[in-house]
Amino acid sequence: MSRLKKFIDRADIRRFRFWVQLSAFILFVYGGYLSIDLGREMPVFICGYDQEAAGMCYFMPLQHQLARDWERLFSAAGLGVLSAFAIFLLWFIIFNKAWCGYICPLGTMQDWITLLRKKIGVAYSNYTQSQYSSLKKIKYIFLAIVIIFPLLMGAGLFGGEWRAAFCKMCPGRLITPMFVGDFSQWSIDFSSNTAIFLTAFGIAFTILFIVGSFVKKRFFCFYCPMSAMHYIFSPFSILRLKKEGDKCTKCGDCYRVCDMQIFDIADDVVSKNILRDDCILCLKCIAACPEEDALHLDIVNMALFRSTKDGFAKRMGVDKERE
Amino acid sequence: MSQSGPLKTRKRERKVEDPKSRHKRHEAMEAVKALDSIRFGFSENPKEMEYFYDLFERVYCSGETLHTDKPTIGTLCIQAPYEIIYALGGVPVRLCNGFHTDEQSGGDFMPAKSCSLVKATLGMLNQHNIPTVDRLDFIVHPTTCDQKTKSISTIEDMGYSVYHMEFPRHKESEESREYWRRSVRSFAKELSVKIGRKLTRKSMKEAIKKVARAQLAYHRLSELMKNDPVPILGKDIFLVTNAFFFDDIERWTNRVHALCDELQKRVDEGYNAASKRSPRILYTGSPPIFPNLKLPLMIEQADGVVVADESCSANRLFNDMVSVDEWFLYDMVDAVADRYLKGCTCPIFTRNEDRKRRLADLAKRYSIDGVVYQSFAGCQVYEMEQRSIQRELEKIGIPMLYVETDYSPGQGGQLSTRIEAFIESLKVRKRRVDHKKRGAV
Repeated sequence: MSRLKKFIDRADIRRFRFWVQLSAFILFVYGGYLSIDLGREMPVFICGYDQEAAGMCYFMPLQHQLARDWERLFSAAGLGVLSAFAIFLLWFIIFNKAWCGYICPLGTMQDWITLLRKKIGVAYSNYTQSQYSSLKKIKYIFLAIVIIFPLLMGAGLFGGEWRAAFCKMCPGRLITPMFVGDFSQWSIDFSSNTAIFLTAFGIAFTILFIVGSFVKKRFFCFYCPMSAMHYIFSPFSILRLKKEGDKCTKCGDCYRVCDMQIFDIADDVVSKNILRDDCILCLKCIAACPEEDALHLDIVNMALFRSTKDGFAKRMGVDKERE
Repeated sequence: MSQSGPLKTRKRERKVEDPKSRHKRHEAMEAVKALDSIRFGFSENPKEMEYFYDLFERVYCSGETLHTDKPTIGTLCIQAPYEIIYALGGVPVRLCNGFHTDEQSGGDFMPAKSCSLVKATLGMLNQHNIPTVDRLDFIVHPTTCDQKTKSISTIEDMGYSVYHMEFPRHKESEESREYWRRSVRSFAKELSVKIGRKLTRKSMKEAIKKVARAQLAYHRLSELMKNDPVPILGKDIFLVTNAFFFDDIERWTNRVHALCDELQKRVDEGYNAASKRSPRILYTGSPPIFPNLKLPLMIEQADGVVVADESCSANRLFNDMVSVDEWFLYDMVDAVADRYLKGCTCPIFTRNEDRKRRLADLAKRYSIDGVVYQSFAGCQVYEMEQRSIQRELEKIGIPMLYVETDYSPGQGGQLSTRIEAFIESLKVRKRRVDHKKRGAV
C-alpha cells in the first residue's frame, strides 16, 4: 500500500493526464460509433450536435427543459427536470472539476493547441490580475443566459428564436461535430435578427477560441458557464483539492504552472479547501509543489495524490544520479 | 641633519609589514581560530566533514583561490539569481563577510551603529582582497536592505563594476512580482553582454537542475537533522552551507551527499552527536558567516544543539525550488525570478507573516525546544521584527532568546553567559516534561 502511494505521488501527472484526456476525447466524441450512450446529463461540453457523441452536454437538455411553459414546468412534469439535474449532480460529484481538466473535450482541444504552441516555441501570454478578476465574471453572465433566458421564454417574455441561446453561441457546437466530419454548424441562421446575432456570435467566439487558446492556456475555460455551474455544487463533491497552509512557503510554483492563473493557490494559506471557481482540477499545482504534503487531492478525506519533495525531484528530472 | 636620516633608517633596518599583508595575516589568524574551535573543540566530527574543514583552511588560512578559469560574479545578497549566473558560465561568489578585521576597516565607511556584515563586506572589498577568488569580474547587487543598497555606491567608488538589480520591498502584489521578473530579465541580458555569452535554453535548463540538485542535497541534510538523537552538530551544518558561497557547486553537492550517507549510518546506529538532554535549538536572524560562527558555537558549547535554522546563510538560501511549466527561456527565467521573491522570508519585506509561519512550521517539524534569534546590532529590520516573532512563538509555547551581536571578540563572556542560562532553562523545562511523561505512564 505504501509502495503504491509512493508510486502515485511520484507520478508524471502530465503524461497521465495526456492519455486520460485522449481516451476521454475518443470515448466522448466517437463513442456513438460503438453505441455508447452515457446519457444527456454530462457535466462537460460534449456537444449534442455531434451525432456520434457518447453523451450530451447537460446544458442542451437543461435549456430545453427550462423553456417549457411555466404551467408545465411547475407541475409534475417538472420532476423530469429535477431527475435530470440529480443525474447531472451524481456524475459531477464523483470527479468534481476534474471533468474540466481530464474529460471535457473542449478543454482537451485547448490543451492540444497549447501543445502545438509549445512545439513551435511561442511564449504564452497571461492576463494581469486585474484583467483576470474582471474577465472571470463573464462565465456567470453566460450561466445566467443558460438558466434565465429559457425561463423567460417559458414565461412568454422571449420568443422561440432564443431557444438554446447559449448553445448557439458556444464554440463547442461548431468544433465538436467537425471531428466526425460535420461542418454544417459553421453557418449563420438568417431566420431572425436574434438568430443572426447568436450564430454570428458563435462563429466569432469559435475563432476567438482557437486563436485565444493558442496564446493563452485554457483561454475558453475562463468564460465557461459549466465551470461556474460546477463551482456552485463543488462543496458536495467527494473529490477535494486541499491545502495545508502552514506547510506552504508561498514560493508560488503552483501559481506559475496554473493554467487558470489562480492566485489563491499560492497566496491563500488559510483556506483548507483551495478549489476556486476557475479551477479545472488538472493537478498540475500538486505536481509542481516542492513541499511535503502542502497540497493534496482527497477522495472522501483520504489523500489520493500528495505533493512530495521526492515526486517533485523526479518530475523535474533532478533525482537521477542519486539512485 | 638631512644626511643623518637615511643613515638612521639603515641602522634600524627591519622588515616593515605593509597594511595589506597585516590585514591578511589578521584575517588568517581569525580564520584559524574559528576553524580550530569548530574542528578541535568537539570530539568525533563526521569523517566527511574533513573535506569542508580542509576547504576552509585552504581558502581562508592558506589563501588559495578557486575558479580561476571562469568569470566570477560577486553577489551581495542571496536574491541574485544563481541559476542565471551558472547558465552564462559564470560562478557566483557570495561577498557577505564575517571577519572582525574587515568589520573594523569597513567601519570607516559606515555610521557607528550599522550592520557588522555590511561593514565587513565593505572592509573586504576596500582591501581588494577577496578570500576564495583572485578577482571579481562583476558585482550584482539586488536592492534589498537599506545598508547594502546605500553602501553599493561606496563599492562602486572603490572601482568595482557593479550591477544594480531592483528588488521590491513588498511581495504580495502582482505588480511586485512583475517588477522583479523584469529586473531578473534585464539582469540576464546585462550579464550575458558582460560575459559575452548567450543564454540558451539548454544552458538555462542545466543551471536550474544544477542548483536544484544542490538544494535537494541540502534538504536531505536537513531532513537528517529531524532525527532525535541528532547525527551531527549545527556548527558543522553552518560550515557546510557557508562553503556553498564559494565552492564548486557540483563538488559541493557530491560532498554533501557523501556526508549525508555517513550521517544516515550514524542515525541507523542511534549515534548521538549531542548529549542526552541537549535542547534542540532553532536558529534565526542575522546570518552566521564564517568565521563569525560564534553564536552556533556558543550554543553547542553550552550543550544545546542547533537542528534547524531560518537564515539567509542556510535554510533560506536553499529552501524553494524552481518549478518550470514550459522548458523555454521565457518560462525558465520567470520561474527563477519567482523563486527568489515569493518564498523569501527576509525581514526587509513589509509583512512578515511568511517568516512567522516558517518558524512555527520548523519548530513543529524539528521538535524544537527553543529559538535563538540573533540580530547584528544596527540591523534595523531584524531588530524590529524581533517582538512580533517573539509573540508568535509564545503562542505556540516556544521560548526565544534574543541577542544583539557584532563581530567583536570582546563580547564573548557576557553573551555566552546568556546563552548558557537559556540552554540551562530549556534543559530544566525538558526534564520536567520528561518527568511528567514518565509519571503519566
